[in-house]
Amino acid sequence: MNGIHDLGGRHGLGPINPEPNEPVFHAPWEGRAFGLFAATFVFAGYTVDEFRHAIENMDPAHYLESSYYEHWMSAFEHLLTTRGIVTREELAAKVAELSKETNRCC
Amino acid sequence: MLLTPELVPVVTSTGASARVAAHVAPRFRAGDQVLIRNWQPTTHTRLPGYIRGKKGVVEKDYGVFAFPDTHAHGKGEKPQHCYSVRFTARELWGDQASDRDSLRVDVFDDYMDPR
Amino acid sequence: MPTAHKTIPEPDPAIRVRALESLLIEKGLIDPKALDVLVDTYEHKVGPRNGAKVVARAWSDPAYKQRLLDDATSAIKEFGFSGLQGEDMEVVENTPEVHNIVVCTLCSCYPWPTLGLPPVWYKSAPYRARVVSDPRGVLREFGLELPETTEIRVWDTTAELRYLVLPERPAGTEALSETQLEALVTRDSMIGVGQPKSA
Repeated sequence: MNGIHDLGGRHGLGPINPEPNEPVFHAPWEGRAFGLFAATFVFAGYTVDEFRHAIENMDPAHYLESSYYEHWMSAFEHLLTTRGIVTREELAAKVAELSKETNRCC
Repeated sequence: MLLTPELVPVVTSTGASARVAAHVAPRFRAGDQVLIRNWQPTTHTRLPGYIRGKKGVVEKDYGVFAFPDTHAHGKGEKPQHCYSVRFTARELWGDQASDRDSLRVDVFDDYMDPR
Repeated sequence: MPTAHKTIPEPDPAIRVRALESLLIEKGLIDPKALDVLVDTYEHKVGPRNGAKVVARAWSDPAYKQRLLDDATSAIKEFGFSGLQGEDMEVVENTPEVHNIVVCTLCSCYPWPTLGLPPVWYKSAPYRARVVSDPRGVLREFGLELPETTEIRVWDTTAELRYLVLPERPAGTEALSETQLEALVTRDSMIGVGQPKSA
């Protein structure tokens, strides 16, 4: 698809700003998101290509503004809900439960 | 399958190559001049827009791999050759670009035609 | 064309991940200890020091270098580096005439067994967009200025081959051991946005 991810040659996206000595994971949640790839890949039956396409289908503005592992989370949620492995309602309920615990708001 | 801690090193060190052990005739070989097709699916592709319709030269045939365009949508591997194709900077970016620099893009058989 | 709706805000990513992980654990579909091992593997065990060993060997041993250029996957596997996102490797050699740079414009493909997980800048829009059309400008941002006579080759990782740059061996290093050479090899020099350290 001619999606937002097809970035080669685009102008205006700003400086690269490499972070010196950056950690592999910037927060523990990134590590867990990373781990979820192999852990779900082995049972959910999606291909890497399908995973990439799920990311390509993100809202384009959100794609550019969100962090890399948030892209992965969007893909997991899409792949697993469309396969009926989890539902959006279950996810929302669990998020609500965990948010109450940690007093964070969505 | 449940990924257990014991299985992790096996999975990470083995990986999951996209190579397919199928005998598929290549349409191109090193040295061939090619034109990238005006292929614009709304579905998944690994053909980047910036090479579409551009002229290149095949540098190397990497062998037979699963085709992402079908593999992403449950339509099978459609195994085919994948090539390293050379494009000059000027061909892609216009006359203001370097006359010396070049790009190499990995291009599937289905993405190009001879010219 | 602008989207018809404002992007719906998502939950805090840490909560979002915990939510999915706990649901999958409850359903018996994942083992969280496997995630622990994966995190540990790529935080501590797999990283650019692997690639540095490959480069240092290629600098020291011409026969190894030839094997690396002929069949990178097998040559890299001689070190035990193999697998996920490195199943089909290609090594591209820098020379005085040619400087190679690797990108994945479409996503973030990167040779994990030799370099570990990619840095944020490699996966982000500015690098992916600009390095194909303005490699010299990008290198300048990384503090590297190449002679006008150098040919820059940008490799876009659009398929499942994964690329590793073999940087040029720094001058004056003839007396160095392989281990000493390893210390000169930087991650950025194996992507192509930097050069190795000097002796």
